Amino acid sequence: MSSAGATTAAERFRELSDGDPEIQAHGQHFSCSYLLDMIEHRFLVRMHRGKVEELVTDPGPLEPYDFAIRAGRETWEGFCSEVPPPMCHGIWSATFQRDMTLEGNHLVIMQNLRVLTRQLELLRITGPLG
Amino acid sequence: MSTASHDDVVGRYVRVEVEGAEYDVFYLEAGQGQPLVCQHTAGCHNHQWRELLRDPDITSRYRVIAYDLPRHGKSDPPNNTEWWTSEYRLTTDHFTGFVVAFCDALALDEPIFMGSSFGGNVALDLAHRRPDRFHAVIPVEGADHAPGFYLDWWQHPHANAAQVSASGTWDLMAPQSPLADRWKTWFYYTQGSEAFRGDLYYYSVDHDLRGRLGEIDTDRCPVVMLTGEYDYLTTPEDGRRTADGIPGAEFLEMSEIGHFPMSENYPRFKPYLEQALEMIARKTGTDTHAAG
Repeated sequence: MSSAGATTAAERFRELSDGDPEIQAHGQHFSCSYLLDMIEHRFLVRMHRGKVEELVTDPGPLEPYDFAIRAGRETWEGFCSEVPPPMCHGIWSATFQRDMTLEGNHLVIMQNLRVLTRQLELLRITGPLG
Repeated sequence: MSTASHDDVVGRYVRVEVEGAEYDVFYLEAGQGQPLVCQHTAGCHNHQWRELLRDPDITSRYRVIAYDLPRHGKSDPPNNTEWWTSEYRLTTDHFTGFVVAFCDALALDEPIFMGSSFGGNVALDLAHRRPDRFHAVIPVEGADHAPGFYLDWWQHPHANAAQVSASGTWDLMAPQSPLADRWKTWFYYTQGSEAFRGDLYYYSVDHDLRGRLGEIDTDRCPVVMLTGEYDYLTTPEDGRRTADGIPGAEFLEMSEIGHFPMSENYPRFKPYLEQALEMIARKTGTDTHAAG
């Protein structure tokens, strides 16, 4: 996938997140940063009070983040499909049963789990960011 | 004259004693016929069975009884102990003892026991320990062993335990299940976080029938297992492996449903449940259509 295509899906993800009623209703304390290590690219999502403050494609090696979500191509493709197949349908199922890993500060994941879960389900609409 | 629209479900309390603990247990019930005793999942309560309780296709043939396990829903912790001075960890002995004592308290004759998740596991333990007391069991999302969910995150003081418990179980449901029913299930989980981790001590640690499944006598207590394809904790492979280890046990894999089938998508669950009940009726020679 080209960088231009990746940017388009990433921007769509940002628009959906900032306009999502659930995230906006419950995300007033959703402030953290995380890395989506996807198929061709990595995406750094910086959240501030429920809004996407910044979404960086392929961040540099010293860009900090709280946690990272990594998986192989097949898992991401399933995860980001409209109706994910069994075991690709969430970060818990994909880490328990597939090759997804959650790295970094797990406490931040747990503190933001409600809105993070919703935000990641927006990938079912955008498809893989790249 | 009242114009209120009531259904037939009623709630009551019953006193139950087990291992020296005295409980006032809340249960919902509806219907007439053979008792069908229903156990909710860990950290939850009996509203997971809300649609089964209001399904005339079932309640015309079965007396459906869905209780809140002590420390869940409207069933308080024990009346006669300083329970707040010790860590709650549910054990196989206490759980099986409770279910039997509850059935005894209600003088239930030939009950079918059905439970989901840790309720599915205890269904297997009941078939193993007390085949004399139960007509049959339907373990839903159960397995001989279910490690990996006894986690400190359920009660970490730096996170919102209610939301972690509820959103931590969100992925256990299938994406096809109706959103409103998934959110009801999520909502129930926000109410049970204090007991969730202790329940999971039983689910992931104390419950362990590995190597002993062959001791379950399905001639005395038939076993029909149901597992959803989206269940990542007790997968269909786990359910099938468990059923294969029990001589005479049946196993049905349920498509497009997860770990809370009765709560996340009852219409999807219903035909599998009816199939399980028919299997039990055929095996035991009971006529479940008599009251219908």
